[in-house]
Amino acid sequence: MATTISEAEKINKLELTTSPHLHNQWTTKKVMWMVLAALVPSVISAVLFFGVYQLLIITTAVVFAVGTEYIVQTIRKKKLAIVDGSAALTGLLLALTLPPNFSLSATAIGAVVAIGLGKQIFGGLGYNIFNPALVGRAFLQASFPVAITTWSPNSFAVDGVTSATPLAAFKFDKITAGLSQMFFGNTGGSLGETNAMAILAGGIFLIVIGIVNWRIPVSMIIGILVFGTLFYFIDPVKYPTPLFQLLSGGFLFGTFFMATDWVTSPVTNKGMWIFGIGISFVLVVIRLFGGLPEGVMYSILFMNAFVPIINRFTVPKIFGAVKGAAA
Amino acid sequence: MAKHTPLSKEFLKGLWEQNPIFKQVLGMCPTLAVTVSAINGIAMALATTFVLVMASMLISIIRKLIPNQVRIAAYIVIIATFVTIVDLVMKARFPVLSKALGPFIPLIVVNCIILGRQEAFASKNTVFRSILDALGMGSGFFIALITLGGIREIIGSRTFLSYQVLPNAFEPWLIMILPAGAFLTLGLMLGFINMYTDRKKNLEKESLIDQYRNKTKSESAGTVAAQEGI
Amino acid sequence: MNTVVKMILTLSSIGVISGGLLSRVNNWASPLIAANLKAQTEEAIFNVQPAAKTYELVKASGVEVYKVFGDDKIPLGYSLVYSGNGFQGKIRLMVGLSPDLEKITALEILEQIETPGLGTKVTEDHFRNQFKKLETSPMIILVKGVEPSKPNEIQAITGATISSKSVVAIVDDGISIMRELKKEGKI
Repeated sequence: MATTISEAEKINKLELTTSPHLHNQWTTKKVMWMVLAALVPSVISAVLFFGVYQLLIITTAVVFAVGTEYIVQTIRKKKLAIVDGSAALTGLLLALTLPPNFSLSATAIGAVVAIGLGKQIFGGLGYNIFNPALVGRAFLQASFPVAITTWSPNSFAVDGVTSATPLAAFKFDKITAGLSQMFFGNTGGSLGETNAMAILAGGIFLIVIGIVNWRIPVSMIIGILVFGTLFYFIDPVKYPTPLFQLLSGGFLFGTFFMATDWVTSPVTNKGMWIFGIGISFVLVVIRLFGGLPEGVMYSILFMNAFVPIINRFTVPKIFGAVKGAAA
Repeated sequence: MAKHTPLSKEFLKGLWEQNPIFKQVLGMCPTLAVTVSAINGIAMALATTFVLVMASMLISIIRKLIPNQVRIAAYIVIIATFVTIVDLVMKARFPVLSKALGPFIPLIVVNCIILGRQEAFASKNTVFRSILDALGMGSGFFIALITLGGIREIIGSRTFLSYQVLPNAFEPWLIMILPAGAFLTLGLMLGFINMYTDRKKNLEKESLIDQYRNKTKSESAGTVAAQEGI
Repeated sequence: MNTVVKMILTLSSIGVISGGLLSRVNNWASPLIAANLKAQTEEAIFNVQPAAKTYELVKASGVEVYKVFGDDKIPLGYSLVYSGNGFQGKIRLMVGLSPDLEKITALEILEQIETPGLGTKVTEDHFRNQFKKLETSPMIILVKGVEPSKPNEIQAITGATISSKSVVAIVDDGISIMRELKKEGKI
């Protein structure tokens, strides 16, 4: 075949992406900014409950995430895509999963790892298997296990120097925190995870405008209530109530903002149900039987790994195809 | 076939060109497992090199006596003998080190580098060349393990060979002395090495194309274009 | 046929030679290895009973207990080896006890596979020294976050609650078994 150079170049410019190829009215940029907007209530809550210093953590995470994205894309000679806000979103999500008054240098490391190892090493936005923000947090958890589980008390706390999270208090000392306390965020915990009200506000906003598919949050919540109830009935003393499971730790935050990440969640409706219930199951097992008090991060990362296989086995039937073998 | 390669090359190829870890990616199990500190890496590499050199030498000597059908079994018995000797000597003389390396000393038996070199080299080459090859591969393994162990020890526990090299203000990254740190470090190292090799290869290719172009200036432009398209 | 004979001959001669060689090395190494093991145990025994001069293994008890003596065969107490589950696997430790089992002289961790840099802190002096002169009755209590206020309290390592808890539980278990043995007059 006699192909001239210009023709060959044209062919090379074809953009190759993996399936699924979906089209809708949303651009990446618009989606990312909408999610950022949905996180505003959680950011405000974090500042309100834990102090202004938390803004520094958030800024550090965002700046280093965007900076890493910029550097990697420059090195790889890719088109710069930092304005699409995805790196900024990863930084913000990471910051909101960190404990209050966390060290800024460690935050920066987490943000660099989140973008560098969590996202760009796979090829950038859309190619990553695992949720980048959670990869960053998992790295920090493994690197600085003491710092990341040191919870400074919030501004409304009455007691003591350190305040354990409701989950840790339950796991190690069998103390149950009040449900309303947890709902309004008056407990120890990570920046974004304590205030259920703020998370719900943002999450419902995302569902209503159609960015987040309701199936994942709903299946996760049903899952944790079912598994929680099951264990609560087996032994009410040993295991916490399902509502406590629902409101404590990072469950709601993970439900609305981490598990629903477009890139790392299934695309089929049936797949979303499997994914959501799977996360809840793994989470309950980690919380009740594992060595750690909290497991939202690991359960989401764990199920992220199954997303390709879930997608493969839940491909919808082609319209008009013969149903069943006998028919 | 290997008779024409210079002797120095037999040794040097193991250091970089055919480095067992960085290029052949063999013997990953001990590489990932024991490199929590530089000293562990050194001990592991020395033990492996000893077994490798002794086994290569012996197998090269008796290579014509071993029937082809049972060669693997014979290699394994010979390797296992030397590994057991190393294991016993370490337990007797260096109990602390032996405890730190745990089951990975006996596991040298199944290290692919050793069996691989017997099958690929010692069984086909003279004794002297086999020893040189084994020493080269062992040194390559040594370089890889001390680099990996060193990086992990410095970042994971602030020390190098137990001397503190980073200030106390540096909070050690515990992940580096966990198994995950081994995978991350080795993965990044391999990534950078591949990047370097690719770049070098591309430069060589370009210079070849340039030479070719200078030679064939008289030929048609279409051929040149095809060459550029690579 | 010829090949088969050759195969058998080669393999068996390699086997015989390597077997012979290994037995020679083993003859040389096994007394040294045994000595190393004994030295390690001995070092641990004297580490947890600093005042001791001699020791003897207590016979006829299900656990590994060494009775230690000072000058002129004065009994100083016991060195107890005991193990139990930690965060990731077995923790084996040695604890020095006073003759009446009411006080701990010192604690030594012999084997553990806890998380590096975190659970492994149970082997560090900072944690182990808390056990020195610790009272054991009714049992050792683990406290978190606050300084120990009672003579039978141990402060947990931040971030390694489970490992700290395991060590305390193992020591408590071991002491309760020692009390049983004492009651039965076996030690």
